[in-house]
Amino acid sequence: MLQIKPILSMLLRSKSSPLLLLLQIILSVAIVANASFIIHERLALMDRDSGVVEQEVFDFTMYSFDPSVDLVQQQHKDLQLIRDLPGVKSATFSSMTPLSGGGWSSSFTIGTSEEDERSAPNSAMYYGDEQMVDTLGVKLIEGRNLRPEEILPTFTDSGVKGIVSKAFADQAFPDESAVGKVIYNGNLGEEAIEIIGVVERLQGAWVNSDNLEYSVIIGVELTNAFMRYLVRAEEGTFTRLKEQIPEVLHKDQKNRVIQNFTTLTEHRTSVYRDHELMASVLSLMVVLLLLITSLGLTGMVMFNIERRTKQIGTRRALGATKRDVVSLFLVENYIICLVGGVVGGLLAIALGQQLMQHYDLPQLEWQYPLATIVGLVIVTTLAVVFPATKAAKISPAIATRSV
Amino acid sequence: MLSMKNINKVFKTDLVETHALRDFNLEVKEGEFVAVTGPSGSGKTTFLNIAGLLEGFTNGDYFLDGVNISNLSDNKSAAIRNEKIGFIFQGFNLIPDLNLAENVEVPLRYRGFSRSERDKRVKQALEQVGLGARMKHLPAQLSGGQQQRVAIARALAGEPRFLLADEPTGNLDSMMARQVMELLEDINKAGTTIIMVTHDPELARRAQRNIQIVDGQVCDFTMYQGGQPQLVSDNVQAVS
Ligand SMILES: Nc1ncnc2c1ncn2[C@@H]1O[C@H](COP(=O)(O)OP(=O)(O)OP(=O)(O)O)[C@@H](O)[C@H]1O
Ligand SMILES: [Mg+2]
Repeated sequence: MLQIKPILSMLLRSKSSPLLLLLQIILSVAIVANASFIIHERLALMDRDSGVVEQEVFDFTMYSFDPSVDLVQQQHKDLQLIRDLPGVKSATFSSMTPLSGGGWSSSFTIGTSEEDERSAPNSAMYYGDEQMVDTLGVKLIEGRNLRPEEILPTFTDSGVKGIVSKAFADQAFPDESAVGKVIYNGNLGEEAIEIIGVVERLQGAWVNSDNLEYSVIIGVELTNAFMRYLVRAEEGTFTRLKEQIPEVLHKDQKNRVIQNFTTLTEHRTSVYRDHELMASVLSLMVVLLLLITSLGLTGMVMFNIERRTKQIGTRRALGATKRDVVSLFLVENYIICLVGGVVGGLLAIALGQQLMQHYDLPQLEWQYPLATIVGLVIVTTLAVVFPATKAAKISPAIATRSV
Repeated sequence: MLSMKNINKVFKTDLVETHALRDFNLEVKEGEFVAVTGPSGSGKTTFLNIAGLLEGFTNGDYFLDGVNISNLSDNKSAAIRNEKIGFIFQGFNLIPDLNLAENVEVPLRYRGFSRSERDKRVKQALEQVGLGARMKHLPAQLSGGQQQRVAIARALAGEPRFLLADEPTGNLDSMMARQVMELLEDINKAGTTIIMVTHDPELARRAQRNIQIVDGQVCDFTMYQGGQPQLVSDNVQAVS
């Protein structure tokens, strides 16, 4: 049977040891609740879908240092050579690579006249050709893909076609279809891009940006001395292709540096490294805190058993069963944990509020302190049951044998 | 009421075997007040512990109130201790962090009594030992004699058939010892069977019946006759 009242008075009359433990529990709950919330946030960020078939895509860079080469012609030849390699599904030049942490972006202007002129959200700009959509593996959900003849050699004020991510389309044109609309890369009327398609999802390069989901694919050729290429190939062919591509391209024209072959999986790992590190450090902290708390509990129970050997024997002599002895220690520690948990939970919320103000974190959800308290009850049970079971084995004869 | 036949108790520690009780035989009738004396280490506490189901015995037969005590489960023993037996210890064994009322309440909670029943019995028991006004005091605030009276109240509150006391006056001066003894005599008059271990020959003489344990056996005993204790002081003195 539960004996909350006498145990409570016992606790209230005993001196410092439960107080210190209580303090430890309060702090643990406050920290663990916030830490697990941050961990969850980070993991959720890392879990976002880029829209790209990351396991099949890689990029590399090319620097052509021979000024006599016709870069336009050479690029067409290069792309053909890459596409002809076994295992390659598609390839394109590109102004940037998703999740790479670097690239191009712009705030586009929308509107037909100065009265209804407004800005579209700042978006990643993927210059690429008709194979860009296939190379990234993004899913076209409206309109159509770019055609080879629509890839213009330079950015002119008209005729440029583009494809936008659905997030961009929804934001820029909330109530209507984006297909057929025009956006301007500059002031109204300048560098017009006609939207011909919408893809379900395509992230930009900056994973910490609020505008990560806004992307525009632009059908304009890039032929600089420094170029970036995206290749989609069958899984498992990357190690071979990163040798083969420089080989075939150098055979055709050797005056260039081809390097930085990186899979999108690698880009993802490095762009999320800080998040990953933060999540692991915090997880370690949570585990350590729970461990320390449970050790503290076990320690206090063992100390109390030592101190109360005669009392336990006496209780047994007076009719306590072994279960009564175990529950004596369980109830005692549940009381400490419950008080610590509630105060710690409130402290967690206060701490969360501070973190929210100073570190740009979302508000701590109430489930986290609650889950932490539940976790604490489990930890308490585990930490207490073992020594308490040993205490229950104390012989009732202790009552007469010890003075 | 209590019947022990050929009880043996052997303590085994690493190399030594101690025969604390050897072929121990004893019958105690309902309502008796038995004083147990004997030299130190003779097995008095061992006998009392076995009688009170605080420890088991190596072999022999023990019936308490008609119940065969060998092979009782741990829970069943706890229940019998709780319902039928009251214990009084030399060191009082009160719980220092609980006040007097809470101390007396401990066995009643294990019994599963309702709150009102517990309150009634706690009050009654503390009043019976003359401490009804100090329910909220902590044990440390009382003298030794008062603490032992609280322990007696704790033993009485469950209205046991049996009261077992191991040197209940061992830690008390003679005045307080006499008070405690008078209390025990009152309890015995009200019908409770009492077995009391004591080193004090004067107190032992006041009991209806004296038994002496020497070397783990009942060596000598004196039955009362016709309600008048017949004192065999030579025996008792020979012991001390
Ligand atoms: N747990 C134990 N383990 C081993 N030996 C024990 C144990 N308890 C008691 N003994 C031994 O059993 C014998 C009887 O001990 P017991 O405590 O019953 O004596 P006693 O008559 O109560 O003595 P005293 O008057 O000093 O209290 C002693 O030799 C003692 O050393
Ligand atoms: Mg003894």
